[in-house]
Amino acid sequence: MTTTVHEGTVATEPAARATVLDGVGMRFGGAHPVHALEDIDIEIGDGEFVAIVGPSGCGKSTLLRIVAGLLKPTAGTVTVRGKTAAQARRDVEFGFVFQSPVLFPWLKALGNVLLPDRILGNRSPTHGPDIEQRARRLLDDVGLRGFEEHYPGQMSGGMRQRVALARALIYEPSTLLMDEPFGALDEFTRDRLNIQLLDVWNKARSTVLFVTHSIQEAIFLADRVVVLSPRPGRIVRIADIPFPRPRSLDLRYEAAFATLTGELRGLLEIEADDGVAPDEATSWQ
Amino acid sequence: MAVDDSNEVRRMSRWRALLPAGLLFVLSLVAWQVAVTVLDVPVYIVPSPIQIGQELIDSGASLVSDLGWTMLEAVLGFGVGSGIAFLAAVVFVHAPMIERAAFPWAIVLQTIPIIAIAPLLTIWFGFTLVPKVVIAAIICFFPVLVNTVRGLRSVSGQALELMSVLSARASSVFWRLRVPSSLPYVFAGLRVAATLSVIGAIVAEFTGADRGIGFVIVQASYRIDTRLMFAGIALSSLGGIGFFGIIGWIEKSILRWPDARVSVS
Repeated sequence: MTTTVHEGTVATEPAARATVLDGVGMRFGGAHPVHALEDIDIEIGDGEFVAIVGPSGCGKSTLLRIVAGLLKPTAGTVTVRGKTAAQARRDVEFGFVFQSPVLFPWLKALGNVLLPDRILGNRSPTHGPDIEQRARRLLDDVGLRGFEEHYPGQMSGGMRQRVALARALIYEPSTLLMDEPFGALDEFTRDRLNIQLLDVWNKARSTVLFVTHSIQEAIFLADRVVVLSPRPGRIVRIADIPFPRPRSLDLRYEAAFATLTGELRGLLEIEADDGVAPDEATSWQ
Repeated sequence: MAVDDSNEVRRMSRWRALLPAGLLFVLSLVAWQVAVTVLDVPVYIVPSPIQIGQELIDSGASLVSDLGWTMLEAVLGFGVGSGIAFLAAVVFVHAPMIERAAFPWAIVLQTIPIIAIAPLLTIWFGFTLVPKVVIAAIICFFPVLVNTVRGLRSVSGQALELMSVLSARASSVFWRLRVPSSLPYVFAGLRVAATLSVIGAIVAEFTGADRGIGFVIVQASYRIDTRLMFAGIALSSLGGIGFFGIIGWIEKSILRWPDARVSVS
C-alpha cells in the first residue's frame, strides 16, 4: 500500500480549494481480486461540475467513494480543499446522493431533509433557528412544495430522489458527490431532475462530481466529462464541454451536442448510453 | 386529509374482514350446544356453552380477579424478558464475538420445556410472584431477541454510508437509524411474546400458586369441575388476545409511516 497522507492547512486561493486525485488506484483483494481503478489523475476546480462516465464495472462508484473518504485507495492520494479525503469527510465537506434515495421511511419529507442538521448540530454551517425554513425552501427548489408532510412511502421514485438531493444540500457541503442518482428513473423524470439539479447547483455553487452511465446526461450537465474505461478503470479522455449556461433541454438536439456525444461514445466500446430501465411510472403532482 | 379517509376505509374493511371468523365462532357454539344436548353428554365430560356462560356469570368476579393476577405476572414477565432480550440484541449487534459465544446458549434456553423448569423455580421462590414472572420472561426472551437482532441489522449499507458522510457519532447511528429501522421487527417479536407470556404465567401457576387462572384450572380439575375449567380456559384465552391486541395497538400508534414493515428504502 503506497498511500501517502497530505495533512495540509486550508488555504484561501482557488487552487487550494480544488479536489486533486493523484495517481489513484484501487485493488480489491479477497477470493476474486479486482483491479478496479488505475492511475486516476484529475484536478477538479472549486465550484466545477465534473461528470464521470463509463460502462458498468469501470469503478465509477468506487472512485466516488474514494473521494468521499469512505474507501481508502490502494495507490495514490486524494486531496480535498487541502485535506485528506478522510479528514474532509470528518469535516463534513461532502454531500452524497446515492443511486437509491436512502430516505428514512419513518421521517416525513421535511424530517428527511432536516436529518443532517439534526445529526450535525453546530457542525453544520447552516444550523440555526431558521433551518426549517431553509429546508422548506430547498424542497420548493426541487419542486416539492406541498409535500413536506408526506412520508417517502407516499411519494414516487423521482420525488424521493429530489428529497435526497434537498437533504444533501441542507448543510451547504462544499462538494456534492452524486452516484448515478437518476439512473433508476424514467427518462422524463430524469430530464426534469437534470434541469432542477443545474438550477440548485447554480444557487449553491458547490463542486459537483456526478457519476453516470449516460453520456448525454454527462455532457448536458457538466463543465468537463471524464470518460473511464472498464477493468481497470482508467481515464480515456477528459473532455471540456463548451456549451454556455444556463442550458435548456433543447441543447441536446443541437448538432454540436450530437457530435460530442458520438465522439465520446466512440471512446467507449460498449453502448453505455440509453441503458436506462424505466422501471417505474412516475406520477407528477 | 386524504390519508385519514383511507385509514377510515381500512378500519371499516378490517371489521368486515373479522365478520366470517365471528360467524364461525357463533355457529360452532350453536353446534356444540346442540351436540351436547342431543347426545346427552354428562356435564363433567363436556359442559354446554350455556352452562359455561352461566359459570362465567356466577364466578365472574373471582375469575376476573384471578385473571388480573395472571395478567400481572404475564405483563411483568413480558417486560423483564423483552427488556433483557432487547439489551442482549444491542450487545450482539455491536459485539459479534459475544453473539457467537452466547447465541447458541440462547437457543438451548429456548429448547428447554418451561414446564420442566417451573417446579424447580417454585422450590426456589415458593408460591410467590417470582417464579411466574421468571417463566414468562424466559418464554418472551427468544422471539424478542431474534427479531430485534434482525431489525437492528436491517439497516442498508448505503444508509450507513450516509451516516458516515455526515460523520455521525455511533450514538447517532444507533438512535436515529438502527433503532427506528428495528422497530417493525421488534414489534413483530413483542406480539408473539405477548401471547406467550400469558401461557408462561399459567404454566408456572400449575406447579405452585394460590391464585391466578392457572391455579383455578388446576383446582377445578381436582374436583372434575369442567364448567369452571372451561370458564378458566376461555378467560385465559381472552387475556392472551387482549394483551396481543394492546401490543398491536401500541405498534400501530408508534409505527405511523406507510409500509412500516419495509425498512430503509
